[in-house]
Amino acid sequence: MTDENDALDTGTVAALARFAGYPPFEPETLARIAAGASNAVAAVRASATGPLFDAEPGAFLAELERQAEPPR
Amino acid sequence: MNDPAQATLTEIATALAGGAVSSEELTRDCLARAHRLNPVLNCFLRIEDEAALAAARRADELRATGRRLGPLHGVPIAIKDMFYDPARETSSGSAIRRGFRGDATAVALARLQAAGAIVLGALNMTEFALGPTGHNPFYGACRNPWNPAHIAGGSSSGSGAAVAARIAYGTLGSDTGGSIRLPAAVNGILGLKPTYGRVPRTGAMPLSWSIDHVGPLARTAADLARLLRVIAGHDADDPGASRRPVPDYEAEAAGSIEGLRIGIPQDFFFDAVEPAVQTVIEAALAMLERAGARRVAVTVPAAQHLTELGRAVVYSEAAALHGHWLRTRPADYSPQVRARIATGVAIPAAAYAEALQLRAPLLRAFCREALGECDLLVTPALAIEVPTLEHTDVGGGASMWTTIARLLRTLAPFNYLGVPALALPVGFAPGGLPVGLQLVGRPFAEGRLLQVAAEYQRHTDWHERLPPYH
Repeated sequence: MTDENDALDTGTVAALARFAGYPPFEPETLARIAAGASNAVAAVRASATGPLFDAEPGAFLAELERQAEPPR
Repeated sequence: MNDPAQATLTEIATALAGGAVSSEELTRDCLARAHRLNPVLNCFLRIEDEAALAAARRADELRATGRRLGPLHGVPIAIKDMFYDPARETSSGSAIRRGFRGDATAVALARLQAAGAIVLGALNMTEFALGPTGHNPFYGACRNPWNPAHIAGGSSSGSGAAVAARIAYGTLGSDTGGSIRLPAAVNGILGLKPTYGRVPRTGAMPLSWSIDHVGPLARTAADLARLLRVIAGHDADDPGASRRPVPDYEAEAAGSIEGLRIGIPQDFFFDAVEPAVQTVIEAALAMLERAGARRVAVTVPAAQHLTELGRAVVYSEAAALHGHWLRTRPADYSPQVRARIATGVAIPAAAYAEALQLRAPLLRAFCREALGECDLLVTPALAIEVPTLEHTDVGGGASMWTTIARLLRTLAPFNYLGVPALALPVGFAPGGLPVGLQLVGRPFAEGRLLQVAAEYQRHTDWHERLPPYH
């Protein structure tokens, strides 16, 4: 899913983990984290096709209720 | 009555109410099956004989005086080991929470008990509810009653296996990426992920507060309807809980589906369906057409991104919830779950916030474009035949990661969207393992999904088939 050029590298993941105070990860785990995070962020980038500047924060439950059918 | 073990939850509740069977004898039977089958299936982490029998005797005493606690009076059920109760340990399938006791009873569990349900014990689950196969390095893998070499699904592995094996009449599970529907599908029973906010999560182990759902598993649509009505409804301690009134789901499930429009996604959800599964799914759709429904082709907007958008949220929130233990007790996680949770550290906070803010517009687009011309969607619950434990275990070979990714492919998108989704058993693949169909509706349209499932079950008998281990 992620373009190779846009993917996180394991060195960056190791630095972020160190910055967050986590003990070191083994290389295989760093690679899994890098792949997982890269895919998730790529999906965000691909889906954010317009500004969210005017989106109401925390409005998801209200949106679910707006989209519901009237009670039968 | 005939063999009580073959009765459904609603049938046994009626038998109990009429005095045809006592809760104590029923509970003894269920506990005996649990002890007999657990060495093979490993679906229970703890079988609570004394507490269950004491509760069953109290239920019988109350009934003898003409009192009935509610619609589950005396019915044996079981719960995933992540619903807190000061009276019992709640391990969340983990080493870290071994021996933990919550301060208050989880709301969904308390509602089941207030309605008269008898809790048989705590069910196996994936460590911290994060994994789709049912492997658990601390407590052992849960196994499938149709063939113990195969997965029971995850994360509510025991919740699926215990119902299929006729140990419990219904179970409680949680679903953050398919964790109710996958165990339901692979064990040949029903599982319902309700609309986000429909069932309070108060007192349930959190994985991702924005995407966690609590819901029931059982053998029939009527059983699910009854369980859902009991556990649904607002709770002030869950900021994500809806105030919308709870309908009579059993009444809603009783209607005809004549003229109902069933949306068939033309992209993504049917892209990678194995031929043996496709044959069974096609037969199920033909059955629904014969019952009066008609098919409509639909497109789900951004379908290929929904699972990963959900993961941006789940991994970020899970990393926050587990941050202290990731720093101080990393060796107490399995390597797989530690890696999944720690993925959140590499997701920028801005991407997490964007993923959250995109939910409402993507939900609007889904309701407008995918559900605009139909009443519900159907997809396979699982596009592949149920894999083995060996093939999906650590070191399961080069194809292991591909298989694991395919387990949640059709399920996880609807956690991000928050809409209700139900797994329905619709037959068996040639290898003898169940095949499931997924029904997906508009927000708070659980009644319509139950209606379709009930109609399908009126015309078929898959839900009456017994697994070899029962």
